[in-house]
Amino acid sequence: MAAFWWIVHKDLVSEFRSRSAWPAMLLLGIVVALLFSVQMDLLPEHKRQIVGGLLWLSVFFAGATVFERSFAAERQDGCWDAMQLLPVSPSTVFFAKLTVNVLALAVLEGLLIPLFFVLSDLPLMAHAHQLALIGLLASPALAAVGTLVSALAPGAGKSGSLLVLVVLPLVFPVMLAAAECTRLALENRIDDAWWRWIQLLGVCAVVFVTAGMLLFEYAIED
Amino acid sequence: MRRWLVELCVAGLLAAALLAASFLAPTESTMGHAQRIVYVHVPVAWLGLLAFLAMAGSGLGYLARRDLKWDHWFQAAGEVGWLCCGLTLVTGSLWAHKAWGTWWEWDPRLTAAFILWAIYSGVLLVRAGIEDPHRRARVGAVLAILGALDVPLVVMATRWFRGLHPVAPEMAPLMRVTLLVSVVGFTVFFGWLVCRRREQLGLESMTAELRRQMEG
Repeated sequence: MAAFWWIVHKDLVSEFRSRSAWPAMLLLGIVVALLFSVQMDLLPEHKRQIVGGLLWLSVFFAGATVFERSFAAERQDGCWDAMQLLPVSPSTVFFAKLTVNVLALAVLEGLLIPLFFVLSDLPLMAHAHQLALIGLLASPALAAVGTLVSALAPGAGKSGSLLVLVVLPLVFPVMLAAAECTRLALENRIDDAWWRWIQLLGVCAVVFVTAGMLLFEYAIED
Repeated sequence: MRRWLVELCVAGLLAAALLAASFLAPTESTMGHAQRIVYVHVPVAWLGLLAFLAMAGSGLGYLARRDLKWDHWFQAAGEVGWLCCGLTLVTGSLWAHKAWGTWWEWDPRLTAAFILWAIYSGVLLVRAGIEDPHRRARVGAVLAILGALDVPLVVMATRWFRGLHPVAPEMAPLMRVTLLVSVVGFTVFFGWLVCRRREQLGLESMTAELRRQMEG
């Protein structure tokens, strides 16, 4: 457990000092949200249909920049070799990296949800607790796939840049469920359908985090 | 001689499937001859799913044994599965145009089939760019196992979310027989394709090894 907190602390301090990944993620999120908002010159009922999808797509695209860098810094100056020498299980490293990525997504969502509220003029903040539940379930699922796939990048060599082609279809159920939950919440329809999508988000989070924990050992063999 | 017999059986079963779909099955009253697409669509959709499970199973086999023979099964199943998944989308689209009046609908099962095809394509593309065979096998195995988690969503999607896609529609007895013959015929044919491709990959691997030994 100490090793877990040590890695989380190290990554957060490193990010705080270098400010390399998170500001880029936040900036990309803002730019993507602004570009999407250009397409939202619609009637409120039409905006409600699409704003969820645009919000979670912005979260994914901006979050992907942080996932990509999860292991990039470790590969410099032999940091990764040093970490592998430590008596730390691969699953501990995975959970530490996952935690940092989930924190990054939480910060991103904390910025983008109010931004979409301003840009779309829809009552997103009136559904803050429902959006928080969606984010609580969607973030670990997105981050688990992103963390695992970014760990494969060094082994994939030239194909590392193509890995994002696999990530988006893999997280599609998460994106769809999060977008549908947001749409239903905005339409004040917290009914069986809403809970079914929430259940799907929960299942995705459990499945992807468990798979990430079990497969991470094989992903980092290089 | 033995291979010759196997190939004859495969060709016979495939011919039986195609002949049954064309002549044995009665013409459906609403959709007419267009309904016969089902006799290709259902088998290739089933094979697309089966091949993905075979890929994930081969990936697990490789991770457990570190033997490239498992990776040859992986690649062969992946290529054939990708083809089946693509055919599922094309035949589904043709059927949808006649049945629903649109080439494409964001029905959950159609969407899931498309996502499965996208994952297949991504995994095969990523693998194609990795030269080291063991790295290629490992990266492919991890991605395919993760991708196989999408398969239950494909199967459950219609039941969970009630889309447009028909679930076990009513069929005349002869239609059911034809569908069964088609599923068996196509499964045997694509199984044979996977075996032949796997043999070819084994020979390629052996040739590459011999070349390395001669050069090095």
